[in-house]
Amino acid sequence: MKKRFHVLVPFAMAAIAASASVHAQVGQAGRLLASNCFQCHGTNGKGGFDAINGKSVGEIYKKLKEFQAGKEGDGLMTKHALGYTDAQMVALDKWLSTQR
Amino acid sequence: MDRRFFLGSALASAVGATLSACGGGESDPVLDLASSDRRTTTTTTTTTTTAASAAVKSRVIVIGGGMGGATVAKYLRLWGDAISVTLVERMPTYTSNIMSSLVLSGQRSLSSLSYNYDTLRSKYGITTVFGEVVAIDPVAGKVTLANKTVLTADRIVMAPGISFDTVPGLGSSDKMPHAWQAGPQTTLLANQLKALPSKGVVVLTIPKTPYRCPPGPYERACLIADWLKAKKPGSKLIVLDANPGIVTEADNFTNAFMGLHGNVIEYHANAEVTSVDPASMSLFTTAGTIRGDVINMIPRQRAGSLVATAGLNNATEGRFAGVNVLSYASTVSGASKVHIIGDSSATTQPKAGHIANQEAKVCADAISRILSGGSPDPAPVTNSACFSTITMTQASWLTAVFQYNPATLAMAPVAASSGASTGWNSENFKDMGKWFSTLMGDSFA
Repeated sequence: MKKRFHVLVPFAMAAIAASASVHAQVGQAGRLLASNCFQCHGTNGKGGFDAINGKSVGEIYKKLKEFQAGKEGDGLMTKHALGYTDAQMVALDKWLSTQR
Repeated sequence: MDRRFFLGSALASAVGATLSACGGGESDPVLDLASSDRRTTTTTTTTTTTAASAAVKSRVIVIGGGMGGATVAKYLRLWGDAISVTLVERMPTYTSNIMSSLVLSGQRSLSSLSYNYDTLRSKYGITTVFGEVVAIDPVAGKVTLANKTVLTADRIVMAPGISFDTVPGLGSSDKMPHAWQAGPQTTLLANQLKALPSKGVVVLTIPKTPYRCPPGPYERACLIADWLKAKKPGSKLIVLDANPGIVTEADNFTNAFMGLHGNVIEYHANAEVTSVDPASMSLFTTAGTIRGDVINMIPRQRAGSLVATAGLNNATEGRFAGVNVLSYASTVSGASKVHIIGDSSATTQPKAGHIANQEAKVCADAISRILSGGSPDPAPVTNSACFSTITMTQASWLTAVFQYNPATLAMAPVAASSGASTGWNSENFKDMGKWFSTLMGDSFA
Protein backbone atom coordinates (compact mmCIF):
# COMPACT_ATOMS: atom_id res chain seq x y z
CA MET A 1 0.00 0.00 0.00
CA LYS A 2 2.66 2.38 1.00
CA LYS A 3 4.71 1.60 -2.06
CA ARG A 4 1.83 2.18 -4.42
CA PHE A 5 1.01 5.43 -2.74
CA HIS A 6 4.46 6.74 -3.51
CA VAL A 7 4.10 5.80 -7.12
CA LEU A 8 0.60 7.13 -7.56
CA VAL A 9 0.90 10.53 -6.00
CA PRO A 10 3.49 11.98 -8.32
CA PHE A 11 1.67 10.39 -11.22
CA ALA A 12 -1.66 11.87 -10.19
CA MET A 13 -0.09 15.27 -9.68
CA ALA A 14 1.45 15.16 -13.10
CA ALA A 15 -1.92 14.21 -14.58
CA ILE A 16 -3.62 17.13 -12.83
CA ALA A 17 -0.93 19.51 -14.03
CA ALA A 18 -1.23 18.23 -17.58
CA SER A 19 -5.00 18.55 -17.50
CA ALA A 20 -4.79 22.13 -16.18
CA SER A 21 -2.38 22.99 -18.94
CA VAL A 22 -4.68 21.47 -21.57
CA HIS A 23 -7.61 23.48 -20.20
CA ALA A 24 -5.57 26.65 -20.33
CA GLN A 25 -4.67 25.99 -23.93
CA VAL A 26 -8.26 25.22 -24.94
CA GLY A 27 -9.27 28.58 -23.49
CA GLN A 28 -6.56 30.18 -25.58
CA ALA A 29 -7.57 28.58 -28.87
CA GLY A 30 -7.74 31.25 -31.51
CA ARG A 31 -6.10 33.89 -29.31
CA LEU A 32 -2.73 33.93 -31.03
CA LEU A 33 -4.44 33.85 -34.43
CA ALA A 34 -6.77 36.68 -33.44
CA SER A 35 -3.77 38.72 -32.28
CA ASN A 36 -2.92 39.16 -35.98
CA CYS A 37 -5.89 41.55 -36.06
CA PHE A 38 -4.79 43.71 -33.13
CA GLN A 39 -2.25 45.89 -34.95
CA CYS A 40 -5.10 47.50 -36.90
CA HIS A 41 -8.16 46.68 -34.74
CA GLY A 42 -6.66 47.34 -31.32
CA THR A 43 -5.59 45.01 -28.54
CA ASN A 44 -8.25 42.27 -28.21
CA GLY A 45 -9.98 43.74 -31.26
CA LYS A 46 -11.44 46.67 -29.36
CA GLY A 47 -10.81 49.59 -31.67
CA GLY A 48 -8.66 50.87 -34.50
CA PHE A 49 -10.29 50.68 -37.93
CA ASP A 50 -13.34 48.80 -36.64
CA ALA A 51 -14.00 47.09 -33.34
CA ILE A 52 -14.21 43.35 -34.03
CA ASN A 53 -14.65 42.07 -30.48
CA GLY A 54 -17.78 40.71 -28.83
CA LYS A 55 -19.75 39.98 -32.00
CA SER A 56 -21.99 36.93 -32.20
CA VAL A 57 -20.16 33.77 -33.21
CA GLY A 58 -19.80 33.55 -36.98
CA GLU A 59 -20.07 37.27 -37.72
CA ILE A 60 -16.36 37.98 -38.20
CA TYR A 61 -15.97 34.69 -40.06
CA LYS A 62 -18.74 35.70 -42.47
CA LYS A 63 -17.14 39.08 -42.99
CA LEU A 64 -13.77 37.50 -43.75
CA LYS A 65 -15.42 35.15 -46.26
CA GLU A 66 -16.97 38.18 -47.96
CA PHE A 67 -13.55 39.81 -48.18
CA GLN A 68 -12.09 36.61 -49.62
CA ALA A 69 -14.86 36.48 -52.24
CA GLY A 70 -14.08 40.05 -53.33
CA LYS A 71 -17.48 41.36 -52.18
CA GLU A 72 -15.80 44.26 -50.36
CA GLY A 73 -13.79 45.76 -53.21
CA ASP A 74 -10.05 45.41 -53.70
CA GLY A 75 -8.80 46.97 -50.48
CA LEU A 76 -6.15 45.77 -48.09
CA MET A 77 -8.50 43.44 -46.16
CA THR A 78 -9.54 41.64 -49.34
CA LYS A 79 -5.93 40.65 -49.92
CA HIS A 80 -5.26 40.07 -46.25
CA ALA A 81 -8.22 37.72 -45.66
CA LEU A 82 -6.87 35.38 -48.32
CA GLY A 83 -3.96 34.56 -46.00
CA TYR A 84 -6.04 32.53 -43.54
CA THR A 85 -7.53 29.04 -43.78
CA ASP A 86 -11.18 28.38 -43.02
CA ALA A 87 -10.29 26.63 -39.75
CA GLN A 88 -8.14 29.58 -38.71
CA MET A 89 -10.93 32.04 -39.42
CA VAL A 90 -13.39 29.94 -37.41
CA ALA A 91 -10.95 29.83 -34.48
CA LEU A 92 -10.18 33.55 -34.42
CA ASP A 93 -13.87 34.42 -34.89
CA LYS A 94 -14.78 32.28 -31.89
CA TRP A 95 -12.11 33.82 -29.68
CA LEU A 96 -12.95 37.40 -30.69
CA SER A 97 -16.64 36.75 -29.89
CA THR A 98 -15.65 36.10 -26.26
CA GLN A 99 -13.95 39.49 -25.89
CA ARG A 100 -16.40 41.94 -24.37
CA MET B 1 22.73 32.91 -3.40
CA ASP B 2 25.76 34.26 -5.18
CA ARG B 3 23.92 35.25 -8.31
CA ARG B 4 21.87 37.67 -6.27
CA PHE B 5 24.97 39.44 -5.00
CA PHE B 6 25.20 41.21 -8.28
CA LEU B 7 21.94 42.97 -7.85
CA GLY B 8 23.19 46.48 -7.15
CA SER B 9 21.59 47.96 -4.08
CA ALA B 10 20.36 51.00 -5.99
CA LEU B 11 18.38 48.74 -8.27
CA ALA B 12 17.23 46.36 -5.57
CA SER B 13 14.11 48.32 -4.78
CA ALA B 14 13.14 48.65 -8.42
CA VAL B 15 13.67 45.12 -9.60
CA GLY B 16 14.05 43.17 -6.37
CA ALA B 17 10.62 41.59 -6.54
CA THR B 18 11.36 40.30 -10.01
CA LEU B 19 14.80 38.96 -9.43
CA SER B 20 14.44 37.58 -5.96
CA ALA B 21 12.30 34.75 -7.25
CA CYS B 22 15.32 33.21 -8.88
CA GLY B 23 16.33 29.92 -7.41
CA GLY B 24 20.02 29.88 -8.18
CA GLY B 25 22.70 28.45 -5.97
CA GLU B 26 25.90 28.40 -7.98
CA SER B 27 28.48 31.14 -7.93
CA ASP B 28 28.58 33.68 -10.70
CA PRO B 29 31.54 33.53 -13.03
CA VAL B 30 30.70 36.74 -14.86
CA LEU B 31 31.65 39.39 -12.37
CA ASP B 32 33.80 39.54 -9.31
CA LEU B 33 32.85 42.32 -6.98
CA ALA B 34 34.86 43.25 -3.91
CA SER B 35 33.93 41.06 -0.97
CA SER B 36 32.79 44.02 1.12
CA ASP B 37 30.20 44.83 -1.57
CA ARG B 38 29.02 41.25 -1.45
CA ARG B 39 28.37 41.41 2.27
CA THR B 40 26.42 44.63 2.01
CA THR B 41 24.24 43.40 -0.80
CA THR B 42 23.61 40.00 0.74
CA THR B 43 21.67 41.50 3.61
CA THR B 44 19.36 43.43 1.30
CA THR B 45 18.60 40.63 -1.09
CA THR B 46 18.11 37.94 1.52
CA THR B 47 15.30 39.98 3.01
CA THR B 48 13.70 40.53 -0.38
CA THR B 49 13.93 36.85 -1.22
CA THR B 50 11.95 35.84 1.83
CA ALA B 51 9.29 38.44 1.13
CA ALA B 52 8.75 37.39 -2.45
CA SER B 53 9.06 33.64 -2.13
CA ALA B 54 5.33 33.29 -1.50
CA ALA B 55 4.50 33.89 -5.17
CA VAL B 56 7.25 32.49 -7.33
CA LYS B 57 6.90 33.58 -10.92
CA SER B 58 8.95 32.71 -13.92
CA ARG B 59 11.15 35.59 -14.97
CA VAL B 60 11.68 36.99 -18.42
CA ILE B 61 14.08 39.79 -19.31
CA VAL B 62 13.32 41.71 -22.48
CA ILE B 63 16.23 43.65 -23.97
CA GLY B 64 15.22 46.55 -26.18
CA GLY B 65 12.02 48.59 -25.98
CA GLY B 66 11.17 49.12 -29.64
CA MET B 67 8.24 47.64 -31.53
CA GLY B 68 9.19 44.02 -30.82
CA GLY B 69 10.44 44.48 -27.27
CA ALA B 70 7.53 46.60 -26.04
CA THR B 71 4.99 44.22 -27.57
CA VAL B 72 6.54 41.04 -26.18
CA ALA B 73 6.76 42.58 -22.70
CA LYS B 74 3.12 43.66 -22.87
CA TYR B 75 1.75 40.35 -24.17
CA LEU B 76 3.76 38.21 -21.73
CA ARG B 77 1.87 40.03 -18.98
CA LEU B 78 -1.47 40.38 -20.81
CA TRP B 79 -1.61 36.65 -21.46
CA GLY B 80 -1.04 35.45 -17.90
CA ASP B 81 0.18 36.39 -14.45
CA ALA B 82 2.67 33.55 -14.05
CA ILE B 83 5.57 35.54 -15.50
CA SER B 84 7.29 38.67 -14.25
CA VAL B 85 8.83 40.83 -16.94
CA THR B 86 11.76 43.21 -16.75
CA LEU B 87 12.28 45.42 -19.79
CA VAL B 88 15.82 46.75 -20.19
CA GLU B 89 16.14 49.71 -22.53
CA ARG B 90 18.74 52.45 -23.04
CA MET B 91 16.35 55.35 -23.37
CA PRO B 92 13.29 56.35 -21.33
CA THR B 93 11.44 57.21 -24.54
CA TYR B 94 11.15 55.47 -27.90
CA THR B 95 11.03 57.43 -31.15
CA SER B 96 9.13 55.65 -33.89
CA ASN B 97 10.95 54.97 -37.14
CA ILE B 98 7.59 54.43 -38.77
CA MET B 99 6.34 57.79 -40.10
CA SER B 100 9.72 59.43 -39.43
CA SER B 101 10.29 60.26 -43.11
CA LEU B 102 7.40 62.71 -42.67
CA VAL B 103 9.69 64.68 -40.35
CA LEU B 104 11.93 65.27 -43.39
CA SER B 105 9.02 66.77 -45.32
CA GLY B 106 8.04 68.88 -42.30
CA GLN B 107 4.71 67.09 -41.85
CA ARG B 108 5.50 65.45 -38.53
CA SER B 109 7.54 66.43 -35.49
CA LEU B 110 9.85 63.95 -33.79
CA SER B 111 7.98 64.57 -30.54
CA SER B 112 4.77 63.36 -32.19
CA LEU B 113 6.57 60.04 -32.72
CA SER B 114 7.68 59.70 -29.10
CA TYR B 115 6.40 56.89 -26.86
CA ASN B 116 7.22 56.05 -23.24
CA TYR B 117 6.89 52.99 -21.04
CA ASP B 118 4.48 54.39 -18.43
CA THR B 119 1.50 52.28 -19.53
CA LEU B 120 3.58 49.11 -19.77
CA ARG B 121 4.54 49.73 -16.14
CA SER B 122 1.20 50.88 -14.72
CA LYS B 123 -1.25 48.71 -16.65
CA TYR B 124 0.76 45.52 -17.13
CA GLY B 125 3.13 45.54 -14.13
CA ILE B 126 6.28 45.48 -16.22
CA THR B 127 9.49 46.52 -14.48
CA THR B 128 11.63 48.86 -16.55
CA VAL B 129 15.37 49.26 -16.16
CA PHE B 130 16.98 52.03 -18.18
CA GLY B 131 20.56 51.08 -18.83
CA GLU B 132 23.04 49.68 -21.26
CA VAL B 133 23.41 45.91 -21.58
CA VAL B 134 27.09 45.00 -22.01
CA ALA B 135 27.01 41.20 -21.84
CA ILE B 136 24.61 38.31 -22.12
CA ASP B 137 25.26 34.77 -20.97
CA PRO B 138 22.79 32.81 -23.10
CA VAL B 139 23.38 29.51 -21.30
CA ALA B 140 22.98 30.76 -17.74
CA GLY B 141 20.33 33.34 -18.64
CA LYS B 142 22.29 36.30 -17.31
CA VAL B 143 22.32 39.88 -18.49
CA THR B 144 25.05 42.28 -17.36
CA LEU B 145 24.50 46.02 -17.43
CA ALA B 146 27.12 48.74 -17.80
CA ASN B 147 26.75 49.58 -14.09
CA LYS B 148 27.76 45.97 -13.34
CA THR B 149 24.28 44.90 -12.28
CA VAL B 150 23.59 41.30 -13.30
CA LEU B 151 20.00 40.28 -13.94
CA THR B 152 19.04 36.62 -14.21
CA ALA B 153 15.98 35.07 -15.78
CA ASP B 154 14.41 31.88 -17.02
CA ARG B 155 14.20 33.34 -20.50
CA ILE B 156 15.72 36.33 -22.28
CA VAL B 157 14.07 38.02 -25.23
CA MET B 158 16.35 40.18 -27.35
CA ALA B 159 14.87 42.88 -29.56
CA PRO B 160 17.86 45.16 -30.19
CA GLY B 161 16.90 46.24 -33.72
CA ILE B 162 19.60 46.97 -36.24
CA SER B 163 23.13 48.30 -36.40
CA PHE B 164 25.01 49.66 -39.41
CA ASP B 165 28.08 48.60 -41.31
CA THR B 166 30.94 51.09 -41.14
CA VAL B 167 31.06 53.19 -44.30
CA PRO B 168 34.68 53.51 -45.48
CA GLY B 169 35.69 57.17 -45.49
CA LEU B 170 32.72 58.45 -43.50
CA GLY B 171 34.42 58.48 -40.11
CA SER B 172 32.44 60.51 -37.59
CA SER B 173 31.21 63.01 -40.17
CA ASP B 174 27.60 64.11 -39.84
CA LYS B 175 27.44 65.17 -43.49
CA MET B 176 25.81 61.97 -44.75
CA PRO B 177 23.16 60.97 -42.18
CA HIS B 178 21.25 57.70 -42.53
CA ALA B 179 18.20 58.88 -40.59
CA TRP B 180 17.26 55.19 -40.47
CA GLN B 181 16.95 55.24 -36.69
CA ALA B 182 14.63 58.10 -35.86
CA GLY B 183 16.15 60.76 -33.64
CA PRO B 184 19.04 63.23 -34.01
CA GLN B 185 19.90 61.79 -37.43
CA THR B 186 16.39 62.61 -38.63
CA THR B 187 16.70 66.22 -37.45
CA LEU B 188 20.12 66.48 -39.09
CA LEU B 189 18.85 65.31 -42.48
CA ALA B 190 15.71 67.49 -42.22
CA ASN B 191 17.91 70.56 -41.61
CA GLN B 192 20.26 69.66 -44.45
CA LEU B 193 17.29 69.33 -46.82
CA LYS B 194 15.95 72.70 -45.68
CA ALA B 195 19.34 74.25 -46.48
CA LEU B 196 19.56 72.64 -49.94
CA PRO B 197 20.69 75.25 -52.48
CA SER B 198 18.33 76.00 -55.34
CA LYS B 199 18.49 73.45 -58.14
CA GLY B 200 20.48 71.25 -55.79
CA VAL B 201 21.16 67.53 -55.90
CA VAL B 202 19.95 65.14 -53.20
CA VAL B 203 21.26 61.57 -53.13
CA LEU B 204 19.56 58.67 -51.31
CA THR B 205 21.30 55.31 -51.10
CA ILE B 206 19.56 51.97 -50.61
CA PRO B 207 21.61 49.14 -49.08
CA LYS B 208 21.64 45.50 -50.08
CA THR B 209 18.85 43.41 -48.59
CA PRO B 210 18.02 42.44 -45.93
CA TYR B 211 17.55 45.86 -44.36
CA ARG B 212 14.95 47.44 -42.08
CA CYS B 213 11.62 48.28 -43.78
CA PRO B 214 11.89 47.11 -47.42
CA PRO B 215 9.58 49.79 -48.92
CA GLY B 216 11.00 52.48 -46.61
CA PRO B 217 13.77 53.95 -48.79
CA TYR B 218 11.51 54.02 -51.86
CA GLU B 219 8.67 55.76 -50.02
CA ARG B 220 11.18 58.24 -48.61
CA ALA B 221 12.47 58.89 -52.13
CA CYS B 222 8.91 59.58 -53.32
CA LEU B 223 8.22 61.85 -50.38
CA ILE B 224 11.45 63.84 -50.83
CA ALA B 225 10.78 64.13 -54.59
CA ASP B 226 7.32 65.54 -53.93
CA TRP B 227 8.72 67.92 -51.32
CA LEU B 228 11.48 69.08 -53.70
CA LYS B 229 8.87 69.91 -56.34
CA ALA B 230 7.03 72.13 -53.87
CA LYS B 231 9.92 73.67 -51.92
CA LYS B 232 13.02 73.39 -54.09
CA PRO B 233 11.90 73.50 -57.71
CA GLY B 234 14.50 72.44 -60.26
CA SER B 235 16.25 70.12 -57.80
CA LYS B 236 17.08 66.51 -58.50
CA LEU B 237 17.00 63.31 -56.41
CA ILE B 238 19.43 60.55 -57.34
CA VAL B 239 18.49 57.13 -55.91
CA LEU B 240 21.38 54.68 -55.76
CA ASP B 241 20.08 51.15 -55.18
CA ALA B 242 22.64 48.46 -54.26
CA ASN B 243 20.06 45.87 -55.31
CA PRO B 244 19.42 44.74 -58.89
CA GLY B 245 16.04 46.46 -58.86
CA ILE B 246 13.25 47.86 -56.67
CA VAL B 247 12.98 45.23 -53.93
CA THR B 248 9.29 45.49 -53.08
CA GLU B 249 6.03 47.03 -54.32
CA ALA B 250 7.78 47.31 -57.67
CA ASP B 251 4.69 48.34 -59.69
CA ASN B 252 3.82 51.35 -57.56
CA PHE B 253 7.39 52.54 -57.03
CA THR B 254 8.33 52.06 -60.69
CA ASN B 255 5.28 54.06 -61.76
CA ALA B 256 6.07 56.76 -59.21
CA PHE B 257 9.79 56.95 -60.04
CA MET B 258 9.34 56.88 -63.83
CA GLY B 259 6.00 58.67 -64.12
CA LEU B 260 4.82 60.92 -61.31
CA HIS B 261 8.31 61.88 -60.10
CA GLY B 262 10.12 61.17 -63.37
CA ASN B 263 11.30 64.77 -63.73
CA VAL B 264 12.90 64.72 -60.26
CA ILE B 265 14.09 61.16 -59.56
CA GLU B 266 17.03 59.56 -61.32
CA TYR B 267 17.14 55.86 -60.34
CA HIS B 268 20.23 53.64 -60.62
CA ALA B 269 20.02 49.90 -59.88
CA ASN B 270 23.13 47.90 -58.96
CA ALA B 271 24.79 51.03 -57.58
CA GLU B 272 26.47 50.04 -54.33
CA VAL B 273 28.45 52.55 -52.29
CA THR B 274 31.98 51.29 -51.67
CA SER B 275 33.41 54.38 -49.93
CA VAL B 276 32.63 58.04 -49.41
CA ASP B 277 34.34 61.42 -49.10
CA PRO B 278 32.34 63.80 -46.93
CA ALA B 279 34.69 66.75 -47.69
CA SER B 280 33.76 66.73 -51.39
CA MET B 281 30.30 65.21 -50.73
CA SER B 282 31.15 62.33 -53.04
CA LEU B 283 30.04 58.72 -53.10
CA PHE B 284 32.25 56.15 -54.81
CA THR B 285 29.95 53.43 -56.10
CA THR B 286 29.93 50.36 -58.31
CA ALA B 287 28.22 52.63 -60.88
CA GLY B 288 30.79 55.46 -60.68
CA THR B 289 31.33 58.55 -58.56
CA ILE B 290 28.25 60.54 -57.58
CA ARG B 291 28.24 63.97 -55.92
CA GLY B 292 25.39 65.48 -53.96
CA ASP B 293 24.53 68.62 -51.98
CA VAL B 294 22.57 66.52 -49.48
CA ILE B 295 23.32 62.83 -49.07
CA ASN B 296 21.06 60.41 -47.23
CA MET B 297 23.48 57.50 -46.90
CA ILE B 298 21.67 54.40 -45.60
CA PRO B 299 24.40 51.82 -44.87
CA ARG B 300 24.12 48.05 -45.03
CA GLN B 301 22.65 46.56 -41.88
CA ARG B 302 23.09 43.79 -39.35
CA ALA B 303 21.48 42.85 -36.05
CA GLY B 304 21.79 45.16 -33.07
CA SER B 305 25.38 44.74 -31.82
CA LEU B 306 24.33 42.79 -28.71
CA VAL B 307 23.42 39.83 -30.91
CA ALA B 308 27.04 39.45 -32.01
CA THR B 309 28.29 40.21 -28.50
CA ALA B 310 26.24 37.24 -27.27
CA GLY B 311 27.49 35.06 -30.14
CA LEU B 312 24.02 34.59 -31.59
CA ASN B 313 24.67 36.02 -35.09
CA ASN B 314 24.71 32.64 -36.79
CA ALA B 315 22.67 33.47 -39.91
CA THR B 316 22.84 35.67 -43.04
CA GLU B 317 26.65 35.47 -43.15
CA GLY B 318 26.89 36.44 -39.51
CA ARG B 319 24.69 39.51 -39.86
CA PHE B 320 21.53 38.31 -38.11
CA ALA B 321 20.34 35.75 -35.54
CA GLY B 322 19.03 32.38 -36.64
CA VAL B 323 15.80 31.53 -34.82
CA ASN B 324 13.19 28.80 -34.59
CA VAL B 325 10.10 30.68 -35.77
CA LEU B 326 7.76 28.64 -33.54
CA SER B 327 9.22 30.42 -30.51
CA TYR B 328 11.97 32.72 -31.86
CA ALA B 329 14.47 30.81 -29.71
CA SER B 330 18.06 31.07 -30.92
CA THR B 331 19.30 28.21 -33.07
CA VAL B 332 22.78 28.50 -31.53
CA SER B 333 23.53 25.32 -29.62
CA GLY B 334 22.88 25.76 -25.90
CA ALA B 335 21.28 29.20 -26.32
CA SER B 336 17.64 28.15 -26.58
CA LYS B 337 16.76 30.20 -23.48
CA VAL B 338 17.34 33.30 -25.57
CA HIS B 339 14.72 34.43 -28.06
CA ILE B 340 15.41 37.02 -30.74
CA ILE B 341 12.56 38.92 -32.38
CA GLY B 342 12.15 41.77 -34.82
CA ASP B 343 14.78 43.20 -37.13
CA SER B 344 17.66 41.32 -35.45
CA SER B 345 16.38 37.89 -36.37
CA ALA B 346 16.92 36.14 -39.68
CA THR B 347 13.56 34.92 -40.99
CA THR B 348 11.67 34.93 -44.28
CA GLN B 349 9.57 37.81 -42.96
CA PRO B 350 10.33 41.48 -43.68
CA LYS B 351 12.16 43.54 -41.08
CA ALA B 352 9.47 46.02 -40.06
CA GLY B 353 7.55 47.26 -37.04
CA HIS B 354 4.18 45.69 -37.83
CA ILE B 355 5.61 42.22 -38.23
CA ALA B 356 7.96 42.64 -35.24
CA ASN B 357 4.78 43.23 -33.23
CA GLN B 358 3.33 39.92 -34.48
CA GLU B 359 6.59 38.01 -33.99
CA ALA B 360 6.52 39.34 -30.42
CA LYS B 361 3.06 37.86 -29.85
CA VAL B 362 4.14 34.46 -31.23
CA CYS B 363 7.18 34.63 -28.96
CA ALA B 364 5.15 35.67 -25.89
CA ASP B 365 2.64 32.87 -26.48
CA ALA B 366 5.44 30.32 -26.94
CA ILE B 367 7.29 31.43 -23.79
CA SER B 368 4.07 31.31 -21.75
CA ARG B 369 3.43 27.78 -22.96
CA ILE B 370 7.01 26.61 -22.44
CA LEU B 371 7.29 28.03 -18.93
CA SER B 372 4.03 26.31 -17.93
CA GLY B 373 5.30 22.97 -19.18
CA GLY B 374 3.78 23.01 -22.67
CA SER B 375 5.18 23.52 -26.13
CA PRO B 376 4.77 26.35 -28.68
CA ASP B 377 1.81 26.56 -31.04
CA PRO B 378 2.83 24.28 -33.93
CA ALA B 379 1.20 26.43 -36.62
CA PRO B 380 1.74 30.15 -36.02
CA VAL B 381 0.56 32.79 -38.47
CA THR B 382 2.05 36.27 -38.80
CA ASN B 383 1.09 39.23 -40.90
CA SER B 384 2.46 42.43 -42.29
CA ALA B 385 0.64 45.52 -43.43
CA CYS B 386 1.94 48.97 -44.12
CA PHE B 387 1.42 52.13 -46.08
CA SER B 388 3.93 53.97 -48.26
CA THR B 389 3.92 57.69 -48.96
CA ILE B 390 3.95 58.23 -52.73
CA THR B 391 3.36 61.96 -52.34
CA MET B 392 2.98 64.29 -49.36
CA THR B 393 -0.77 63.55 -49.34
CA GLN B 394 -1.21 60.17 -51.02
CA ALA B 395 -0.16 56.66 -50.08
CA SER B 396 -0.20 53.05 -51.26
CA TRP B 397 -0.47 49.90 -49.14
CA LEU B 398 1.33 46.59 -48.98
CA THR B 399 0.34 43.43 -47.12
CA ALA B 400 1.28 39.77 -46.61
CA VAL B 401 0.28 36.86 -44.38
CA PHE B 402 2.82 34.18 -43.41
CA GLN B 403 1.96 30.60 -42.44
CA TYR B 404 4.39 28.20 -40.77
CA ASN B 405 5.66 25.55 -43.17
CA PRO B 406 6.70 22.43 -41.21
CA ALA B 407 8.68 21.09 -44.20
CA THR B 408 10.96 24.14 -44.48
CA LEU B 409 10.62 25.17 -40.80
CA ALA B 410 10.06 28.71 -42.10
CA MET B 411 7.23 31.25 -42.28
CA ALA B 412 5.97 31.05 -45.85
CA PRO B 413 4.16 33.99 -47.45
CA VAL B 414 0.69 33.05 -48.69
CA ALA B 415 0.83 34.08 -52.35
CA ALA B 416 -2.82 35.16 -52.60
CA SER B 417 -2.44 37.43 -49.57
CA SER B 418 0.79 39.11 -50.66
CA GLY B 419 0.47 42.27 -52.64
CA ALA B 420 0.05 45.99 -52.88
CA SER B 421 -2.66 48.49 -53.76
CA THR B 422 -3.17 49.31 -57.41
CA GLY B 423 -1.82 52.84 -57.32
CA TRP B 424 -2.15 55.35 -54.51
CA ASN B 425 -4.65 57.83 -53.14
CA SER B 426 -5.43 60.24 -50.30
CA GLU B 427 -7.75 57.75 -48.59
CA ASN B 428 -4.78 55.45 -48.02
CA PHE B 429 -2.83 58.39 -46.61
CA LYS B 430 -5.60 58.91 -44.02
CA ASP B 431 -5.68 55.16 -43.28
CA MET B 432 -1.93 55.28 -42.75
CA GLY B 433 -2.45 57.62 -39.78
CA LYS B 434 -5.03 55.30 -38.22
CA TRP B 435 -2.89 52.22 -38.88
CA PHE B 436 0.08 53.90 -37.22
CA SER B 437 -1.73 55.05 -34.08
CA THR B 438 -3.44 51.67 -33.62
CA LEU B 439 -0.21 49.75 -34.13
CA MET B 440 1.61 51.95 -31.62
CA GLY B 441 -1.27 51.50 -29.15
CA ASP B 442 -1.10 47.72 -29.53
CA SER B 443 2.64 47.84 -28.85
CA PHE B 444 3.01 50.47 -26.13
CA ALA B 445 -0.38 50.81 -24.37
